[in-house]
Amino acid sequence: MLVTILANAISCMNYEPSGENDFNYYNDNGVFIVNEGNFMYGNSSLTYYSPDNKRSESEIFIRSNGIKLGDVAQSMTIRNGLGYIVVNNSGIIFVIDINTFKVVRTITGFISPRYIHFVSDTKAYITDLYSSKITIVNPQTSKITGSIPIGAHKSTEQMVQYDKYIFTNCWAYDNKILVIDTETDKIIDSITVGIQPNSLVIDRNNKLWVLTDGGYKNNPYGHEIPALYRINTYDFSIEQKFNFALDDSPSNLCIDENGDNLYFINKSVWKFNITATNLPDVPIIPYNGTIYYGLGISPRTSEIYVADAIDYVQNGKIYRYTPQAVCIDTISTGICPTALCFK
Amino acid sequence: MKNYFDCKILIFWSIVRKFALQLTTYNLRLTTYNLRLNIVIFILTLTISNVNFAQTTAKNDTTWLLKIDTLTVTAQRILKNIGVQQTKLDTIALRENISVSMADVLTQNTVIFVKSYGRATLSTASFRGTAPSHTQVTWNGMKLNSPMLGMVDFSLIPAYFIDDANLYHGASSVSVASGGLGGAITLNTKPANEKDFSVKYIQGISSYDTYDQFLKLNYGNSKFQSSTRIVYTLSDNDFSYKNYYKKHYIKDDDGNIIGSEYPIEHNKNGNYKDFHALQEFYLTTNDNSHFGFSTWYMNSKRGIPMLNVDYHEENSSQSKQTEQDLRTVLSWDKSFAKIKLFGKIGYTYTELRYLYLGDKGDGILSKMIHSQSYVNTGFAKFDAEYYLNNKWMFSVNISSHQNFVNSIDNAIINTEGNSVIIGYVKSRFELSSFAAVKYRPVERLGFAVNFRNDLYGKNHTPVIPAAFVNYLISAKGNIRAKASIARNYRYPTLNDLYFMPGGNDSLSNESGYTYDGGIEFTLKNEKTNINGEITAFNSNIKNWIVWLPNAKGFWTPSNVKRVNSYGIEIKLNTTVDFARDWKFAGTGNFAWTRSINHGNPANWADESIGKQLVYIPEFSAAATAKLSWKTWIFTYKWNYYSERFTTSNNEKNTKIGKLGAYFMNDISLEKHIGFSWAKISLKILVNNVFNEEYESVLSHPMAARNFGFFIEIIPKFKK
Repeated sequence: MLVTILANAISCMNYEPSGENDFNYYNDNGVFIVNEGNFMYGNSSLTYYSPDNKRSESEIFIRSNGIKLGDVAQSMTIRNGLGYIVVNNSGIIFVIDINTFKVVRTITGFISPRYIHFVSDTKAYITDLYSSKITIVNPQTSKITGSIPIGAHKSTEQMVQYDKYIFTNCWAYDNKILVIDTETDKIIDSITVGIQPNSLVIDRNNKLWVLTDGGYKNNPYGHEIPALYRINTYDFSIEQKFNFALDDSPSNLCIDENGDNLYFINKSVWKFNITATNLPDVPIIPYNGTIYYGLGISPRTSEIYVADAIDYVQNGKIYRYTPQAVCIDTISTGICPTALCFK
Repeated sequence: MKNYFDCKILIFWSIVRKFALQLTTYNLRLTTYNLRLNIVIFILTLTISNVNFAQTTAKNDTTWLLKIDTLTVTAQRILKNIGVQQTKLDTIALRENISVSMADVLTQNTVIFVKSYGRATLSTASFRGTAPSHTQVTWNGMKLNSPMLGMVDFSLIPAYFIDDANLYHGASSVSVASGGLGGAITLNTKPANEKDFSVKYIQGISSYDTYDQFLKLNYGNSKFQSSTRIVYTLSDNDFSYKNYYKKHYIKDDDGNIIGSEYPIEHNKNGNYKDFHALQEFYLTTNDNSHFGFSTWYMNSKRGIPMLNVDYHEENSSQSKQTEQDLRTVLSWDKSFAKIKLFGKIGYTYTELRYLYLGDKGDGILSKMIHSQSYVNTGFAKFDAEYYLNNKWMFSVNISSHQNFVNSIDNAIINTEGNSVIIGYVKSRFELSSFAAVKYRPVERLGFAVNFRNDLYGKNHTPVIPAAFVNYLISAKGNIRAKASIARNYRYPTLNDLYFMPGGNDSLSNESGYTYDGGIEFTLKNEKTNINGEITAFNSNIKNWIVWLPNAKGFWTPSNVKRVNSYGIEIKLNTTVDFARDWKFAGTGNFAWTRSINHGNPANWADESIGKQLVYIPEFSAAATAKLSWKTWIFTYKWNYYSERFTTSNNEKNTKIGKLGAYFMNDISLEKHIGFSWAKISLKILVNNVFNEEYESVLSHPMAARNFGFFIEIIPKFKK
């Protein structure tokens, strides 16, 4: 007995493969919640939520695949029944089956990937935080097929498409929207907006909307009033500009399925009809005591999903609201829920 | 969008996390002084087990053996140490092996929790469940904590460069510096008291292409001592491990996965190369003044190992950190009949660079991030101690640090088309004044009060008071009780105030209130010596500074956290002199630490209130056993941490957010051989004896069983 006690006391750390479970979420209109985790902790995770029965599953990536999602999962995009999860600091894109969550492919070869946008079934663009180029891959073969230099800019972020043009924002210490011709894979123009454009969408009239955060106090790059821009996608001219207050921090511009209403976070959550002539005075969802960390609008129901990272080192929450902003569910997530991806 | 700035800050954080300091020292020589003045008050037979290799002249000249002498110490618990909760690290600990850093010494020999990211990577120390920045560290009186980050990386301090190390727990840290909300550590060098010329060389060869070199040259006579020490360590540090958090997917021609396995990977980008040189001179003048000079140069080049969830190739992405330090201290002291005076001036230069390189597609690694910081610090300190009689002692000291900091990040082109640098340039003057009164009305009882006040820039801390009491319960059993209490403050670091972006110049001081009480005892007979100590503590810290993301997407500090930490610390040392040539020395320590978040909830969903702080183990323990027989020495080291949480709500139901209990076992065997021309010692060590696979910090792979071989040569010179 003494030997047993001694043996337990001196050794045997519990460190082993975590095992794999099978999931089956066919015919379920679920929502993937990408949890960023903490930088250099490698604790990103994926939560799955079924709105119809209000059930959620946490850590589905490691539970179904037996491996970690990685460090700083950034975004997820669904294409043809496959989910593309971009894991920024791990430098990988995991391609999963959106019904079983099993990895079907991986794509590597990036420096610090942020978002993926599909030009076609065989061509996708990937933006990068530290690279002076956008990477082109063939999603069907996982191979890098080319790249688009972005000139003197340091990084690229989100992408939206109108016709053959892709618009991408250069956020950190920058003020440009780059315009890429998808036929030639070349930058053909750039649009100067305010300091630090952080998100963009396209509305039902094919207008490009861009939100800038204005930088910060004492920023050597500059500090100005944040703004919401409406940009013409034919001639790339700025048609309208809506000013916030200097201390505001608008972010996470989203749009509903019909392209009628914009949503964004500026401490509270705000809704803005694309025909409005002024920024709204009253938020649709009020501030809750913590900075909202993510926002998503259900393309099926126009329900509003708001992410709360709480203290950034515990599992966060997603608050699910009806389009009329009535809270109908609270979902537990992983650390720092950042992006929502609707099946 | 969010993670651009947090990357930057955290990377910077991870960079600047390197702060090694050095100091030169200067030895207080209190013992001599006190003996001379006859004012030693408390004669306490504090026994310190001291294992020396002493040449047994009585026997044959070439025989070496392990002499475990229970030094009935310098047996004076002087007035100066009334009530102080102190741990002195002995020579066994500091000279265990040349490859050992102060991080390893603290892990194995103290109740401090050292969070280590792996071999030769960031290792920070946390006292009693507080943050690394709540441990104040000095080298011969000069601050080692980075004025930018507030913390010290103990992996950058070779233990062979430290001759004297003391831990001051809780309230006792007030006598060292302000801001030690957890405690303080003083590191010193001191004269070797050599006669004539001596040389020592150690060569180590260990797993993963690791080479340790150490050279020491001493020269001395009764008035003058010179010591030169050089440490040079280099390692590929590319150990293999089975990666349970990645899979090697077997793909068909179309890139579809058709199979998988957990890959055997190697530690990527973990190589390091550290060079240290320390030169000291000591001089005693005819009027019995002592002068000391020491200067320590360090040049460290380290890769930052990739996480085990990183899919970059080594040749396409690298993080590197280089640091150069120069630390110099000039010291002087002189003793008069009732007064002792000490003076010191010093200078520190620190240059830190963090480089993130990436392949832009042309096969060439280009700079993605290049953060640099340059710190120049001037230091001056003056101490005076006055011993009125054998009941009263008064002391005052004043110390100042003038910091000049230049923090430079990548250059950017602003909207006007001009190149501007993200960073900050700041200087700050820090002045700390201290006064203490110690009183021992009767032999058994002692009281002390300390006061400290700090100025920093244009601000100051409130007065920092501390009080101590000692009581000798049993002179026969050497059983003493002691207790202390203090209010303490820590002012924000320069990064807290000015880091670009995010620095918050409206931060308040962190404030702490702490008390502890304990009992220590010593039992001894001719063959056996046991001493132990048990202490209970309780601390409250308010306005704890935490960096959190703001609405703009970058991190900024604020005074938000409130923490109550309490627990128990136990230390036990024993030496046994068995029959004929067999000797045993054992040390053990145990800590129970509850470090509980009592802040205001972030919102209704916040589940972190009432929970243990992340990464602080509730239980920790370590033990070392040394058995010697003639010229052989066998050492067994054991180390334990209980489960640690990486989430503030202590999430248990997770596959990615907690670290299981940690057990580590290391052994070594050493043999001493004497020749007519030299003394030689050979040592072989085995780390991680049971070949454990583990992580100590999330996603940081650790080495499996590994080996080292060391040879020490001390040439004999003909006289």
